[in-house]
Amino acid sequence: PLRLLQSKTVPKRLRTSQRKPHEPQVPRSLIKEIFRHFVKMPVTRDAFKIVEKCSERYFKQLSDDLEAYTHHAGRKTVEAADLEVLMRRQGLVTDKMPLNVLIERYLPLEYRKLLIPIAVSGNKVIPCK
Amino acid sequence: ESRRMRSTAPRSTLRKIIKKHKPQLRLAANADLLACLFFLTFKQECPGVVHLNFLLFLHRLAEEARTNAFENKSKIIKPEHTISAAKVLTHFNIF
Repeated sequence: PLRLLQSKTVPKRLRTSQRKPHEPQVPRSLIKEIFRHFVKMPVTRDAFKIVEKCSERYFKQLSDDLEAYTHHAGRKTVEAADLEVLMRRQGLVTDKMPLNVLIERYLPLEYRKLLIPIAVSGNKVIPCK
Repeated sequence: ESRRMRSTAPRSTLRKIIKKHKPQLRLAANADLLACLFFLTFKQECPGVVHLNFLLFLHRLAEEARTNAFENKSKIIKPEHTISAAKVLTHFNIF
């Protein structure tokens, strides 16, 4: 009877080197937090998995769009202008809601400083054009 | 909606995600900040307009899933509710 108390041998965990490098993705906890905030209802674990899959597809679409706009402009680097075009196409940026207003409203100050030119002393403008 | 979401976007994660889909595409420094903006923006001024940023996307998905659950007299969101919600969004070219 004493033998029954002995713990079973647990298979050794795979070593870190053998683990698959995980795919870059928006943290699950964040997706969960946002979705739960909006849905205001209990959500099953499997339903969350679907939401995660949808989010992946969403970012794939975003990448496709950005590539299309960048290629269209004959560039290989996504510039701010491409994102502006994308946001304009989506009705996020309009004549009434210019990009700078969105930046001021939603981005923290340290990011804002990088995007919106600020006149500093010595007649310098950051970032330089 | 009044509750503020986490205000920092996973900046390098967004870069990595785009890199995964489009390895040859490069992202200018300021563009990646705008990608964050794209991630964060959530506008309530004109509810009629569909905005396709990530938060709004999740918002739409959540609302559709909720509606589906209500129609099935379910008090909990199940996978099938989310799946048909996703189908609706695809149908309207939301993503």
